[in-house]
Amino acid sequence: MSTIPGQIRLSWQDPVTGEQKNPLLTCPIAFGREFARMPADLQGQRVARIVLNSSQVSRYHTLIEWVQGHIQVTDQNSSNGTWVNGVLQPSCNVSSGDLIKIGPYEIALMFTLDGRGLPTAEASEQSIIQVPEPEAAAEPDATPVNVLPPAFQAHQVGVQDLYATQLPIEEIDYLAVGAGLGSFIWVNFLRIFGAAPQQIRALGIADRPYARYQRLCLNSQIPPHERLRSNSDSCPDNIWGWPGYALREAWHEFNKGKTKAAWHYLWQVFAEPTFAQTYTPRAGNVFASIDREAVRIGWPQIYRFGRVRAIRQTNDGRYAIAYSPGRRQTAFVIARHVHLATGYPVLQFLPDLKAYREQTRDFKSVVNAYEDHNHVYETLERQGGTVILRGRGIVASRIIQRLHEARHRNPHISILHLMRSPKPQGNRFGKAQRLVDNHFEFQPFNWPKACWGGTLREVLEQATPDQRTNLLADWGGTTTADRLDWKQLVQTGLDQGWYQITFGEVTRVVPNAQARPTTYIQEQGPRGEIQLEADFIIDATGLDSKVKTSPLLNDLVTHYNLPLNPAGRLAVTNDFELLEMRNQQGRMYGAGAITFGGPYAAVDSFLGLQYTALQAVDGLVAARAPNLHRLNGLNSLRQWLKWAQNQAP
Amino acid sequence: MTPTLLGRWQTRLLLMETVGLVITLLFCGGFFGNEENAIFFWLLQYIVVFGLGWDYLYIQIQNFRWDQDWPAALQWLAALWEGLFLILLREVAAIELPGTEDWDSGLFIVHYSFVWIAIFITSQSLMRLIFPRWRFRGGQWL
Repeated sequence: MSTIPGQIRLSWQDPVTGEQKNPLLTCPIAFGREFARMPADLQGQRVARIVLNSSQVSRYHTLIEWVQGHIQVTDQNSSNGTWVNGVLQPSCNVSSGDLIKIGPYEIALMFTLDGRGLPTAEASEQSIIQVPEPEAAAEPDATPVNVLPPAFQAHQVGVQDLYATQLPIEEIDYLAVGAGLGSFIWVNFLRIFGAAPQQIRALGIADRPYARYQRLCLNSQIPPHERLRSNSDSCPDNIWGWPGYALREAWHEFNKGKTKAAWHYLWQVFAEPTFAQTYTPRAGNVFASIDREAVRIGWPQIYRFGRVRAIRQTNDGRYAIAYSPGRRQTAFVIARHVHLATGYPVLQFLPDLKAYREQTRDFKSVVNAYEDHNHVYETLERQGGTVILRGRGIVASRIIQRLHEARHRNPHISILHLMRSPKPQGNRFGKAQRLVDNHFEFQPFNWPKACWGGTLREVLEQATPDQRTNLLADWGGTTTADRLDWKQLVQTGLDQGWYQITFGEVTRVVPNAQARPTTYIQEQGPRGEIQLEADFIIDATGLDSKVKTSPLLNDLVTHYNLPLNPAGRLAVTNDFELLEMRNQQGRMYGAGAITFGGPYAAVDSFLGLQYTALQAVDGLVAARAPNLHRLNGLNSLRQWLKWAQNQAP
Repeated sequence: MTPTLLGRWQTRLLLMETVGLVITLLFCGGFFGNEENAIFFWLLQYIVVFGLGWDYLYIQIQNFRWDQDWPAALQWLAALWEGLFLILLREVAAIELPGTEDWDSGLFIVHYSFVWIAIFITSQSLMRLIFPRWRFRGGQWL
C-alpha cells in the first residue's frame, strides 16, 4: 500500500470498550473532547478531527501537523497536557512508533516520512471470533432468522398466526433469554418477589447457569480452587449478599479447626483494600453455592434447552420468541415480560493475530486466552519455549501465574510480555489516582468499587449519555488485581530474567522458516523495527459484546429500529428496560454485557447483575406484573430466613 | 462499604435512634450496674449531631480514594475518633454540653463502645436483610 507524506496510522485501544481503533488519516489531525471546538481547517487544509471522550481531555487538546518534512505534535494549552513517550511535551517532532498520551488514551503513531508503504491494519469489527461452545451444544444446522414462519416478518406478530403454524407454543408470564448467570439472577429475584416456577421460563443452551462463565474461567486458567476477581458479598446465590463468601469460608475453616485461616479471611474483608489484600472467593465455592440456590428456586423446572432465533412483539401486548429446541425444530414461547441476558457473543482478537491465524490456519501457536489452550502449557512443560503475552489485565496476570507453575516442571520457559507502552502513572479522576507498579495498573475489581453501589454509581446514573462515555473512559481501562503473589512473581521473573516486558507497536505477525510466529514491532525511539520470535502467542485482551456481533440482537435492533448507546450496546433506561420495546402491559429488560455503556458501569459482574435484576424486578412490580410484590422490611427478612434454611421461596 | 453522604446520614440516624437508643435506654435505666441517669441519652444525641458533620468530612476524604470506598477498618478508626472527640471536648477543652453535667469518662467509654459495636454488627448484617436496596444506594434506606 502506498501512502502520501503526512499520512499517519493511528492506533489505540478504546478505554471504554477495549476495542482496537486503527484509522489511517492525513495531517493535520486534531484531538479533543468536543468536535465543534476543534478547527475544521487550517491554512486551507481540512483537519481530521478525533473526539476522545474523557474529562481528562480538553475540548481541543492536541494537533498533529506535517511541518517541513516532519510530523509535529503540539499541545493546545490543554489542562492535563500531551505526553509523548511518557514525557510532557508542549510541542515536539515525533518518529514513527512514538506514543502520545492524551488523558486515558494512548495513541501510537505509525508513518513513513517518504510516504512509502504503511502497515495495513484490519478494521476492528472483523477482529473477533465466536466463543467456542461445548460439543453437545454445537449445532451446525442452525435455523437462520429468514426461514422462520412469514408471520414473524410482521412488526407485531398475530398470536393466531403463530397457532396456525401448528408448531409447539407455550404461553408464560416471564421469559429469560440466555439462561446464563444474568438470567438466573433475574429469575432468583422473580422467585423471591413472589413468582412461581411455572410462571417462568428460561431458554438457553446449558442447564447450569454458570456453564459458560465456568468454561471461560477454566480456559483462562482459573480452576475451581483458584479465586475469582469478585467481592465477598457479590453472591449470585443470595440477593442480600449476606453472609458473604468470606464469612462462609471463615466459618468452614473454623469448623475444620483452621482458626488462623478463618481469622485471615475475616481480617481481609475488614481491612480491604487499604490494609489488607482484597478477599476474593474460590471459583468452586461460588459454583457450588449457585447449584444449591438453583435447586431451591426450582431452576431445573424453569430451564429449557433452546437456541433463541428471534424476538417479536405480539398484537396483544406480549412478546413472541422463536427458538430451536433441537435440530431443525422450531417452537414458540409467548411471554408477557422478557429479560435478555445473552452475555458476550464473541472473543475479541487482536487484528494482527487474527490475520496470522487466517493466513497460516495455525490455531495452535496463536491463541486467545479465553479459548481452550491447555496444549500451550502441556507443550511448554514438555519441551520448554518462549511465550509472547499480549494484554495486561487480570487474565494476563493469571496466565503469568500459570506459566510460572509450568516452570516448576520445565525451567526453560520464558515469557515476553508485549505491551504497547510503558505505564508510568495510573488514570486520574477528580482528586484520586489509580496505583501502578511494573507497568500494571491496579484496582481490586474491574471498576472502582463505588461504581457498584456508591457515589460513582449515582454520578453515572444521573449523567447524560455523552457524559457517561467520558466517565467510563476515566474509570475504565485495563487493570489487574493488587495481589501480592502476582506482584512478587513479576518482580522475581524480571530479576531472574525469565519474564521480560517489551514495549512497542506490533506491525505484523508472520510465520518464520520453522513456521513459528514472528512478531515485528515498531519500538519507540531510534531502534525502529525489531522482530521477536516465540513458540506461542497468547492474546489476553478480552471479550466483546457489541450488539452487531450477535445475530439475535442484531435482528431485534434492526427489526424494531432500537437505539444503541454510544458504546454500541442496547440503550436501556435506569431500570434497564428497553423502552422502545414496551408493548402495552408488556415489558422487556436487558442485563449484562449487552447493556454496557448505559446507566451502570459494572453490568457484567455478579453484583452488577444483581443490581440490574433488582432494578428490573422493581420496575415490574411498579407495572403490576403477575404475582410480584415489593420486597422490603420484614418480608425481606422472612425470605432470607427461607434462604438460610434452604426452603423454597 | 461505598457510602454516599445521604446514605451515611440516613444510616447513622436510623441505627443510632433504634439499636443505639435501645442500648442507651438500658444504660439510662442502670441495667449495667450503673446509676440511673439521662446523660446517656443526651450523649447519644450529641454523637448523632456531631456525626452528621463528621460524615461530611469523611465524604471529602473518600474522594481522595480511587475506589471511593470506606472499608470497615476506616469505619472503626472514624468511630474511635468520634468518641475521642467528645472526651477531648470535655476533658481537655472543658466544654460542658447541656445535659452532660454528670460526665464520667469511664462510663462514657463503656456506653459508647456498646453502642458502636452493636451498630457496626447491625450494619454489617441485619441492614442488608431488611433493606435489600441499601447496599446499592450507598447506605440510603428511605
